[in-house]
Amino acid sequence: MTDDLVRRAQAGDQTAFRDLYHQLAGRVYALCLRLTGDAGAAEERTQDVFVRAWSKLRSFRGESAFSSWLHRLAVNVVMNERRTTFRREQRVAPVAAPETLERGRGEPAVGVSIDLERAIAALPEGAREVFVLYDIEGYSHAEIADLTGIAEGTSKAQLFRARRLLRENLDR
Amino acid sequence: MNERELREAVGRLPKSIEPPRDLWPDIAARLSTRRPRWYWLPLAAAAAVAAVVVTRNFSGAPSSGSWPVSVLAGRPLVGSARLAASGALRVGEWVETDDSSRALIAVGSIGRVEVKPGTRIRLLEARPDAHRLALARGAIDAKVDAPPRLFFVETPAGTAIDLGCAYTLETDSLGNGRLHVTAGYVEFTWRGRRSVVPLGAIADTRAGMGPGTPYVEDAPEPLRRALAKFDFESGGAGAAGAALASARAEDAVSLWHLLQRVDPSQRGAVYDRLAALVPPPPGVTRPGALALEPATLDAYWSSIRRILFRRVILRGVRDIDPRTGTTVK
Repeated sequence: MTDDLVRRAQAGDQTAFRDLYHQLAGRVYALCLRLTGDAGAAEERTQDVFVRAWSKLRSFRGESAFSSWLHRLAVNVVMNERRTTFRREQRVAPVAAPETLERGRGEPAVGVSIDLERAIAALPEGAREVFVLYDIEGYSHAEIADLTGIAEGTSKAQLFRARRLLRENLDR
Repeated sequence: MNERELREAVGRLPKSIEPPRDLWPDIAARLSTRRPRWYWLPLAAAAAVAAVVVTRNFSGAPSSGSWPVSVLAGRPLVGSARLAASGALRVGEWVETDDSSRALIAVGSIGRVEVKPGTRIRLLEARPDAHRLALARGAIDAKVDAPPRLFFVETPAGTAIDLGCAYTLETDSLGNGRLHVTAGYVEFTWRGRRSVVPLGAIADTRAGMGPGTPYVEDAPEPLRRALAKFDFESGGAGAAGAALASARAEDAVSLWHLLQRVDPSQRGAVYDRLAALVPPPPGVTRPGALALEPATLDAYWSSIRRILFRRVILRGVRDIDPRTGTTVK
């Protein structure tokens, strides 16, 4: 079913591509939501992913499942956007103090009722990305290093930090 | 929380989370201006052929990247400007009406769409072989005179596909709505779930669930309630049974759809009720219907649609037997 839709989409059939979107939007949105920690940004990145997928469909040769290919593309789209935004912010704003990074973005009102999704969203950006990619999505540290442009050792350190922060937040 | 408990909690996280709204209309708008590069050559050839064919079939010029839009009341917003009289709606642009404004969009050369007050609608595609709007909220009256499947309206609950018709389509801010067909018939689809709504029939729609089972304008209230429960509240066999009990011969459109939606174990009961109300035409057999053979379903559908057509068209002129479509003496 999916293979047929992919073939038709590769031939330019937008209706088939729409059906693929409906099949896979939930997976892509979940990934974007967890990587960005922001619902609005996740919607934008999800759209970007499918627009990019449409323009790159020809490069999909069926060597992996289409969902895996799309998943990888989604990670790349989110990471590219993050790098672009980071460079933009670097030009206009000073780097935040280390202690603010450690507290995490958004600083939600954590308490006993905080759930795991919210706790993940509240992680510092780098720690959150590594945690999502390693613990939820199953990427290796080498793959994460390749995807995000950080060293493998940094990936391991970020994972350790993410898990510690999550345990602390979920214990409160 | 220790390491193991965290791992277990992570393992329970859902792999999929549906976006809070349907993102496809926005994606489609971006795709329509950005085709895969390799696609241009065959597309150019196909488009040239399609343009010739469509131009021959319709006297008007093929639609381009914009459609004319004019004011019927008030000052609707088109793109980023308030429209005073008339203008152009370009691909990707929205028309937005407030409580007191209305607009009329020309659907290329094949039809028109009246945008009712309180509506937000976007032009996604304006090509001779694909005329596509996205209705985010509000209501439209559409009238199209063209071969089937040239005009589409995307909504959060699915896509209305014109099969040669006139209809009213509504969508509320939650993406739930209603399709009411006043001429011809319309197909409404969502992820493989499909309703064919003929003249004089209505289908309710729900975001994330698609179209409900169509029912005729004068369907009894208990039938409407049972169908709503079956379609949108996981009513199952109980709701289907209630629908069968309250259905009349006039409600064959609903039973024909229900036959394809109920659990296979319940198909026999639906078929028997339908056959008792509207005798099957020649060639339609019980085994064929229970196996959902396309030819059988099509034959029964043609008969049901013809009867409904005569009932609606001749309403107030002469009485039509809802079992056969013949004039009551």
